[in-house]
Amino acid sequence: MDGQCCGPGFKSPQEAIKAPREKLLYTIAIYTGTGIQKPDYLATVDVDPDSSTYSQVIHRLEMPGIGDELHHMGWNACSSCHDDGSMSRKYLILPGVRSNNLHIVDTATDPRAPRLHKVIDGAEIKAKADLSGPHTVHCLGSEIIISFLGNAKGEAPGGYLHLDKEFNIVGRWETSMGDIKFGYDFWYQPRHNVMVSSEWAAPNTFMPGFDLEEVGHLKYGRELHFWDFEKREPVESFYLGEDGLLPLEVKFHHDPDSTHGFCGAALSTNVIHWWQDDANKWRWEKIIDVENEMHPEWPIPLPGVMSAILISMDDKYLYLNNWLHGDMRQYDITDPHNPKLTGQVFMGGLLGKAPIVNGVEVAGGPQMFQLSLDGRRLYVTTSLFSTWDNQFYPEIREKGGVMVMIDCDPENGGMKINEDFIVDFGKEPNGPSRCHESRYPGGDCTSDIWL
Amino acid sequence: MTMYTVTIANRDGAQYCVDARRPLLETLREQGVDLPFGCKYGGCITCAAKLKTGAIDQRRQVALNNRQIANGYVILCVARPTSDITLEIGVESHDKLYRNPFLDPLKPHELKADIATPKEG
Repeated sequence: MDGQCCGPGFKSPQEAIKAPREKLLYTIAIYTGTGIQKPDYLATVDVDPDSSTYSQVIHRLEMPGIGDELHHMGWNACSSCHDDGSMSRKYLILPGVRSNNLHIVDTATDPRAPRLHKVIDGAEIKAKADLSGPHTVHCLGSEIIISFLGNAKGEAPGGYLHLDKEFNIVGRWETSMGDIKFGYDFWYQPRHNVMVSSEWAAPNTFMPGFDLEEVGHLKYGRELHFWDFEKREPVESFYLGEDGLLPLEVKFHHDPDSTHGFCGAALSTNVIHWWQDDANKWRWEKIIDVENEMHPEWPIPLPGVMSAILISMDDKYLYLNNWLHGDMRQYDITDPHNPKLTGQVFMGGLLGKAPIVNGVEVAGGPQMFQLSLDGRRLYVTTSLFSTWDNQFYPEIREKGGVMVMIDCDPENGGMKINEDFIVDFGKEPNGPSRCHESRYPGGDCTSDIWL
Repeated sequence: MTMYTVTIANRDGAQYCVDARRPLLETLREQGVDLPFGCKYGGCITCAAKLKTGAIDQRRQVALNNRQIANGYVILCVARPTSDITLEIGVESHDKLYRNPFLDPLKPHELKADIATPKEG
């Protein structure tokens, strides 16, 4: 369905860019922590402008129980097994951060109405692999690897769960966690035998909410880790210090030959760039530093809180959010050492610059986003994590989350909020829910890795 | 078997008789009380409720900071009653559970137990 060859995905990033436009989008929506006693669910959003239900939720797949806190997700297969005709991009894996359950969802039988295929019980994962707090899902060939931020007791650093293609637990993926203190996101670049992982905090630290003082007590991360991917062990770590407080999302260039990669340090609100130099040494530098802003009523300056970054499929643009300031930004990273700001729009946020978007009051700020393969449509949601939402944007309980679409210009740069699209999760049938990560059935800009 | 009475203040004072040895989340849900929960091991505060009267043992919780404990919050998935108690449940009880950390910092004695320093004076 999504490739010209025999297996899933695309032969190359260049082929992916030429794929047909997305017509459906999946996003998770949560009730955990909202006061509504309903399960979290996977929402199907119609993003086909020729459809009569464009810009609406057209299906909701509820999880079996309450309290999962769905968050990020990932596919069973991607372009890393493009040559394998026995594989297909059929199953979406939805971890519950709090419950530890992994939900395997069949999106291929009826893409508009995904169905639950299997649940891997969180207690089984604790018993067999001593892991809790699942986050990032990546596949490599037919194998699936998921980062977990804690052990069965919710203590850092956790590790990596290895699943086979039938979704059986193989065990722990890594040979060693070395001296790593925390886990969070990871991405790998197989041609360079490297994986990079980042650091949030232990589940017992971040799940209850954000105590700023715990950053000073070293309960939150500030390092990046470079792994020998084949040996499955960390070999080098970079201490980022004050420039790298809460290094969260990790992205390599999509070009599998490139060694350039990026991480957004959420609390410092910086982008960290790394690459391998001519002597094959890994180097890092800070390339973007979003200044704190003065809030009209706050005694202290307000950090942006860059909770996510994304690289366009052509590796030309880096997108980032400032969840508390309320802006999305686009940088031209043609020269990754010298990014140029080429676009910026506001939607929500605490600075009051765009409280209403397309007629909807925005509670929260730009948080997770997904970019179309052609780089022209950026879908942005507003909720971060239930307990953190409740601290910074308590009104999100009544208003729910929002999905906004930003039109992006991949030729000349530039961003503009699309006036014909908005999905108000405040109007959901069971009450206001909160949308977070999104994926498209045919591939997007955060799902594929090339061997 | 030691049993205690749990009164739920914000459910018209409904009363339930519960086993003192088992977590309140389990014993109340078994009797039909609709309660939020998440991790079920004391790590995430989704199931937090406010203790209005009586005493509980919640030694296994690791989610609350000392200010939240001082404000009466209990983690139902691991808390056991040690007397008859009165609770306020659900998000209606969460008025003091969440705070903006930039506007309302914690004092050193208000941090989580493993990093808190004793209150001076």
